[in-house]
Amino acid sequence: MSDIAGATRALRAERVSLAFGALQVLFGVDVEFPPGRITGLIGPNGAGKSSLFNCLTGLYRPQTGKITFGGARLDGLPPAARAGHGLARSFQHVALCSEMTVAENVMFGLTRHGKAGWASAFLPLPAGARERADARARAIAALELLAIAALADKRVGELPPGPLRLVELARAIVGEPRVLLLDEPAAGLNSLETRDLLAALRRIARPELVMVVVEHDMDLIMQLCDSIYVLNFGKVIALGTPDEIRRDPEVARVYLGADDA
Amino acid sequence: MSELALSKGGSAPVAATEPVARAPIGAWGDIACVAVLATLPFVLGGFWTYSIGVALANAVGVLSVSVLVRFGGEVSIGHNFFMAAGAYAVAILEKRWGIPFYLSMFVAPAAGLLLGLAFAYPSRSLSGIYLAVATMALGLAVPEILLQWSSVTGGFEGLYVTGHLTTVVSKDLQHYYVALLILVAVVYALKRLRHSRQGLALLTARSHPRAAEAFGVTVSWARLSVMGISASLAGLSGGTLAFVSSTVSPNSFSFSSAIFLLVGSVASFYALSLPAAVLGAAVITLLPQYFATAGEWVPIFYGAALLLVILCGNAGTSALRRAAAWLGVRHV
Amino acid sequence: MLSLLWSGVVTGCLYALGALGLVLIFKSSKVVNFSHGSLAGVSAFIVYASSSSLPGLPWAACVALALLAAVAIATLTYVVIAPVVFESDLTATVATLGVSLVLQGVVLIVFGSDIVSLELPLPRWSMTVAGLRVSAYDLAVLGATAAAIALLFLVIERTRLGIAFRAVSASPFAARVCGLSIRSVHLFSWILAALLGVLAALLIVPTTFLSPTTVASFMLQAFAAAVLGGFESLPGAAVGGIVVGILVNLFTFYVSPEFTNSFLLVLILTALGLFPGGILSRRGGSRV
Repeated sequence: MSDIAGATRALRAERVSLAFGALQVLFGVDVEFPPGRITGLIGPNGAGKSSLFNCLTGLYRPQTGKITFGGARLDGLPPAARAGHGLARSFQHVALCSEMTVAENVMFGLTRHGKAGWASAFLPLPAGARERADARARAIAALELLAIAALADKRVGELPPGPLRLVELARAIVGEPRVLLLDEPAAGLNSLETRDLLAALRRIARPELVMVVVEHDMDLIMQLCDSIYVLNFGKVIALGTPDEIRRDPEVARVYLGADDA
Repeated sequence: MSELALSKGGSAPVAATEPVARAPIGAWGDIACVAVLATLPFVLGGFWTYSIGVALANAVGVLSVSVLVRFGGEVSIGHNFFMAAGAYAVAILEKRWGIPFYLSMFVAPAAGLLLGLAFAYPSRSLSGIYLAVATMALGLAVPEILLQWSSVTGGFEGLYVTGHLTTVVSKDLQHYYVALLILVAVVYALKRLRHSRQGLALLTARSHPRAAEAFGVTVSWARLSVMGISASLAGLSGGTLAFVSSTVSPNSFSFSSAIFLLVGSVASFYALSLPAAVLGAAVITLLPQYFATAGEWVPIFYGAALLLVILCGNAGTSALRRAAAWLGVRHV
Repeated sequence: MLSLLWSGVVTGCLYALGALGLVLIFKSSKVVNFSHGSLAGVSAFIVYASSSSLPGLPWAACVALALLAAVAIATLTYVVIAPVVFESDLTATVATLGVSLVLQGVVLIVFGSDIVSLELPLPRWSMTVAGLRVSAYDLAVLGATAAAIALLFLVIERTRLGIAFRAVSASPFAARVCGLSIRSVHLFSWILAALLGVLAALLIVPTTFLSPTTVASFMLQAFAAAVLGGFESLPGAAVGGIVVGILVNLFTFYVSPEFTNSFLLVLILTALGLFPGGILSRRGGSRV
């Protein structure tokens, strides 16, 4: 499903199994997220999609299997170290610092790239001032891409959920990640806000960027994704384009079955 | 959301000016406060100049506790440890090697920093309550260390700090203005920290540790950093206190003094501004002198003040929230 | 050596009583109660004042009076900090420091800063078992501790409030769904803790003396015991108390009697480093 050049820069999980005590939640899952495409990860409640997502971000450590990105092993690395491999993410529950302005929250997304030391944190040194101005410019650029630059100097606490999602998105993309992991980006949004989010996510997509979206909102997934993995009971039961997934009898049975129950 | 899309494209005015660069209202409050404090010695007598000088040194200590709360979300009742380290560093350097305060004032925060890191390292992966309990042990350990290590610390009597920077200005005025200068420098440095890359990382790590981790900032780095900053400020405060009061003794760094620092910090609403820190320090420095004849009322007063600020602060925010809900404002 | 261990166990029992109270409160309301020691100190002073100023009053009546006062103060403390108990941060814990200051101030004003001594009405009896001197005081401490712990576990296992306490400490949310009053469970744990604290204070004071700060400073050992036990485990607190008692005793004898608090500081930091979940916890789980 992907060309060879792309495959080397893909995010992969191979035979990943995860259990909490006696409860097995993932059974040897194989998935591949190629660059330049938006890949969805769906499944009914308890299917293991959040667990798989957390294995990708490093929050959970799978017992067996490996997670690689562009050939580098990621499993075993804590979340903070995965940021160094170019992984960035958003959170299901907005995780922005309410004391900081929108621009400052986005500038935090660049923290890994900062070189200025502690001296310039306390003293007016030119290196720190330059870095800060540069960070601010990049943050504004990211906010402009998502059409919310007007909010730059607002406090996060003043904003409704829709813009908050976009601010989180801006924080995730400002450091030019190679992998973007989105955890239910549409949770808590109304249909208007979801439409804006969809437009923003499409603007973010780039040929070299791996995008993974875990989402409950089927409409969003079907409109947004190039391909979709469907999980059920800790296993991949289907992979395909939105049209293929829509027509898949197994997927329909899982979802309709769940709805009927 | 749709109306916000209007800003798309031509949003240059927002991007060009950074709000930090403009002088915010808070800065004017700080400047006015400095002006008032700078003129006080000419208005008040020698006794008050001394007392307020002590309060200014304590204000740095109050800020050290507030920094821990604001940037780390942690509470300490052991900061007398780091203050004592700074104070005794200044006193011992002068007594043993005749090193003057303009040099030892850099050693004091360094001593605080080292001890702060040594303390924070074993507790770097632990949360609030454990740290609070560990700081309690830290605070209680100070007097016994000072008393037992009397060959260095002078035991119960303590040590005298006699040095001064210049003979041109009277010693009392030197003490006062040096303390004021140090306090202003600390407030300025903390204001810069708030907007620095490290400051943003610390604030994010405090409010959303997982978000910080996801962007490469480990929580243990944040804990070590905040405790390091806080402890070095406490060390600086102790050193300044030694210089201003010309003496160090175990009495000034008892466990109660650490609790009083926290009281001062709460009374200043954990704010990192100059007026707030001075107010907090005044509560813990000047009130005991005012109550001098009724010293046993001091703990009750502090305890009541602490409860009052916490409970009223809570009632205040919840009233605000209710009012906002009533007005139909979302997400206060 | 054996006698060191024995006396360590005896004092350890007292630390365990203190630690049990701290853990009870923490389990139910997620507050670290820094006023625990001050409250116990106030109660010890009430026993002292009532027994010395009213010579006719039997000792048991004085203790009953102190226990009543402890219940009243614990209730009052909880009512004062109740508005901030559900705050997720350390607000309520800081508030207990305020309560502690007020209680210490009250003792200072009412009883003065003089040091007094308070004895238990025990016979001056002792016996030697295999080279070990066992006094009536030792037996009283062990007996009282055993009885208190047994009673505590009975109350938690068998009474309605005790069961509610277990539900709340397992999950406040589940308890709310079951229609339990969280406030009354909180109050239940605060009162139980106060009673244990008074017991510990009365048993500690004869070994030293009574001043407005003595009992409060003994609380550091109780805190260390609670930390060793993981702060969430009642058995952990009991075991932690005895471990702290023995270790402090050994340290005092072999190293120095003057650096107890410094030793406890090192002990707390070491324990936190080695057993973040307490000495009785098992490591496990795949969440990292």
